Amino acid sequence: MKKKKRIGAKIILGLTTLFFYLPILYIIVFSFNNSRSLTKFSGFSLRWYEKMFADSNMMNAIVYTIVIALLATVISTIVGTLAAIGLSRSRRVLKNVVEQINNLPIMNPEIVTAIGLLMFFSAIGVEKGFLTLLLAHIMFCTPYVILSVSPKLRSLDPNLADAALDLGATPFQALTKVIVPQIMPGIISGALIAFTMSFDDFIISYFVTGNGVNNISILVYTMSKRINPSINALSTLVILLITLVLIVVNVVPIMKEKRRKRI
Amino acid sequence: MRQFRSMIYPYVLWIAIMIVVPMLLILLYAFTKGANDVATFRFTLEHFGRFFSDAVFLDVLKRSLVIAIWTTIVCVFLGYPIAYAIATGSEKSKIFWILMITLPTWINMLVRTYAWVGILQDDGLLNKFLGLFGIGPFHMMYTTFAVVLGMVYNFIPFMILQIHTSLAKMDKSFLEAASDLGANRVQSFLRITLPLSLPGVLSGITLVFLPAVSSFFIPKLLGGGQYVLIGNVIETQFLTSGDWNFGSAISLIMAIIIMLSMYLTRKVDTDPAANGRGE
Amino acid sequence: MKKLIQFKNIVKEFDGKLVLKGVNLDIYENEFVTLLGPSGCGKTTLLRILGGFLTQNEGQVLFDGEEISKVPPYKREINTVFQKYALFPHMNVYNNIAFGLKIKKEPKDIIEQKVKRMLKLVNLEDFADKNVTEMSGGQQQRVAIARALVNEPSVLLLDEPLGALDLKLRQEMQRELKKIQQEVGITFIFVTHDQEEALTMSDKIVVMKDGEIQQIGSPTDIYNEPVNEFVANFIGESNIIEGVMLEDYKVMFEGRKFECVDFGFDKNEVVDVVIRPEDLDIVPRADGKLKGVVKSVLFKGVHYETMVETKIGTAITVKMQVSDDRPVYNQSANEKMSANDFYLDVDDVDELDDATIIARADAQAWNPDEDEFISIKEVQYNIEKKNGTYPVTFSTGAGTSVTVNMIVKDENRVTSKENEEEIFAVNFFKKVDEIQESIALETDLKTWANASAWSLEDDESVEITDVEYDFDPENITAGVYDVTFATKGYLYKVDTTDKYEEGDEVGLTFQPEDIHIMSKQP
Repeated sequence: MKKKKRIGAKIILGLTTLFFYLPILYIIVFSFNNSRSLTKFSGFSLRWYEKMFADSNMMNAIVYTIVIALLATVISTIVGTLAAIGLSRSRRVLKNVVEQINNLPIMNPEIVTAIGLLMFFSAIGVEKGFLTLLLAHIMFCTPYVILSVSPKLRSLDPNLADAALDLGATPFQALTKVIVPQIMPGIISGALIAFTMSFDDFIISYFVTGNGVNNISILVYTMSKRINPSINALSTLVILLITLVLIVVNVVPIMKEKRRKRI
Repeated sequence: MRQFRSMIYPYVLWIAIMIVVPMLLILLYAFTKGANDVATFRFTLEHFGRFFSDAVFLDVLKRSLVIAIWTTIVCVFLGYPIAYAIATGSEKSKIFWILMITLPTWINMLVRTYAWVGILQDDGLLNKFLGLFGIGPFHMMYTTFAVVLGMVYNFIPFMILQIHTSLAKMDKSFLEAASDLGANRVQSFLRITLPLSLPGVLSGITLVFLPAVSSFFIPKLLGGGQYVLIGNVIETQFLTSGDWNFGSAISLIMAIIIMLSMYLTRKVDTDPAANGRGE
Repeated sequence: MKKLIQFKNIVKEFDGKLVLKGVNLDIYENEFVTLLGPSGCGKTTLLRILGGFLTQNEGQVLFDGEEISKVPPYKREINTVFQKYALFPHMNVYNNIAFGLKIKKEPKDIIEQKVKRMLKLVNLEDFADKNVTEMSGGQQQRVAIARALVNEPSVLLLDEPLGALDLKLRQEMQRELKKIQQEVGITFIFVTHDQEEALTMSDKIVVMKDGEIQQIGSPTDIYNEPVNEFVANFIGESNIIEGVMLEDYKVMFEGRKFECVDFGFDKNEVVDVVIRPEDLDIVPRADGKLKGVVKSVLFKGVHYETMVETKIGTAITVKMQVSDDRPVYNQSANEKMSANDFYLDVDDVDELDDATIIARADAQAWNPDEDEFISIKEVQYNIEKKNGTYPVTFSTGAGTSVTVNMIVKDENRVTSKENEEEIFAVNFFKKVDEIQESIALETDLKTWANASAWSLEDDESVEITDVEYDFDPENITAGVYDVTFATKGYLYKVDTTDKYEEGDEVGLTFQPEDIHIMSKQP
């Protein structure tokens, strides 16, 4: 009975894996296709990669995506961490209000956030482009950082900061020497979420950008109207990059831990 | 510590400008008409009237809801067995499978959706595979099937994770108690496991339904140009026709529908009579 | 001795609630002062104001004669040992202790010297490299003390530092803390809710309640001369009896006059009389100043805690009519069914519903072969709100039915005016087998008789502690039996070295100086 059930579970999980990973594998394989076809593999070639690297639109989009993602990650991580610390010390009323508003971009359909920002930028007369894109990304990344840091602050001994002050540390020293090291795991995972949110974002970017500033998602969307195997090459690059980030983030702490244990 | 309390104020200012003001703008635009000049705005309900009196828009709304509901149903019925299969495994296999489910969600949704284009073609991978058994070929691209498939593919991880969480945190002693009291496997599943995992299913439903209603690139990529959902209408209003007032009104209608459905699911969740969980 | 710290009229409120209501307190150099009180009394708030983590709404804090309310915590010559220690989990023991010195940028070799000396003081010399999260509660405690003391403060604040430790370790740390305080020779201000801790360690105890200081004094003062009922109850165990001060050196309680050593009260002032359990002696009944019956004896290690009742509680006796009726048997449906007559209070008639009737009549139907219960489908009755006997019929779906009587009677209630208590119970009917099968007979008897008691002063319910009956539940036969329900009377706690038996009739005696008279609290 028990054994049979596990076989059933294995079949279900096997099919699930196929469902999730087949399309990704498919894209990677066809990025090396010799022909234009999306269905027939007619031989290995790197021509779509060559085409991609030659296409200034694509290269620009890649650069913009990475620059925006890095900037948005750094800024929203700093802003979000400070806000989360301030929030954890705030009066309940203010805390509730800020938490509710903070949840709006997470709970609202992205398209609603997107059109709100679009109208806002146009109302204050900012030209759509790099700046609006960056501001929008900081705006939707920060709530995730706060959401990721807050639980760590909540589980912190409320007296830790007091203890540091009591021992002569200034508030700034208490922050950098005691509180931030304690909530570091939350900050790192918040930064990771912010990076991938920004890196992958399509809907909000699509509405708030302009003047030829595009990211990878927008490019895929506009190019996918006709078959263009360069998209496969670009997608493969994206998959590779994200996988790399995930590996670094997940493996480095384990290696550090091992080294620490050896010493 | 009062010293750190003041650190929240810059962020309060930031969210007031970047979150609250844009939301208020949507409200303002939805209920007014006039030029893009604050002085000439006038209160009106005509955008809502226009939406609800035009059969085309009502059709779009209906289609969006139908697709979202189908997506949600498929996600529940596929997601539950998957979550159950994961949750009944060993600790190690649980961690592995959760990682397997979450990994693809880190990759760009557009890229992952685009991947299906090749598979669903008339001479694509899926039809070739079915052909081995003498089935098909079917026309799948640019159909409802393709749109629902794309949505399920993108959103089912949320469902699996939610159900898995509620299954995993369930106290194993409940099942032991049930079998001690004479329930067989099927009975204890139906009477213990299922009711206790219902909150997970419900929050999974919200997490799937919300993006499914508002999605607009999945229908565009897999449904083709003629497959218009409410998200596409909003896109057109803002980026093509430039009618921000009407676009805002449609967004508001959509947001209200979503809030309503979330409120209803939450109500089921907290109503002890509905799930047999007295809280 | 010099005044080191002065609290002057400190008022603190949180969200509109007054936590400190104008506290005045002087603390001298090298004192071991304990702030003692139940949780929520404001003792921790006062400590945090001194530490600089909170600012008072009104009043002044003087340190060495200077107002320090505006001085931030990191500039105060005060260090704190926090509740649950607040050690920095990402640093080892050495770095935790060195933290304050590193912040002050002291030279490395001096830091090392000082930390080593502290580790020695708290007996943790071999633990410098240990991770603080891997240490026991007692060890963490020592690290926290060392971390604070290494900064050479002139005052050390300790916020319930022993709360998380088990009893044995706590007593050990109490001795050690006292030793450390004498060795470093600085002022310790210690916050606790544990009176024993306060009594063993302190030079001075400050008893607080609801944001106000109740009493300040040495441990012996506070124990022997509590100023009010709260202090008497909080510090040690006490018997507190209401009495009347007839004149100086003469008090009356339990209806008798006694000599005492207290004076200065109004004539015939109503007072609280405190007698500590160890000051009471049990003597032969004839020699006792008070007479009573031993109700319970508890062995406490070095002595017996003997409870002596001088006046019995309120009691009520009801009749239990036991029948040996057999259940009705319906052969065609193979169902058995039974129910009892029962009494009702007139006031209960309004709130009567089927479920209550089934419960009170103990009506049940079952299948004798499978021993499974069958639900009662119908309850038929007519009742009026006046005394009388009203039949009620229970029936199942298969047609099995039983009819019993509901007997409405005026209430059956006893009031004890002296103790301001009222107790209520009704006569009831039972079957032999129900009594034999009861697992918790006293609880069942209370339920069957619907017994309850409450105070006439504040309407709070009072526990029924005694259920007395003189039948043998195993071998009971049909008939009428008395069941008595009673509440507790006046009880004295007496510490004795001899063992007495429950039910012993004894006398209690005490010396005039063992009685302590307090004004009644408003």
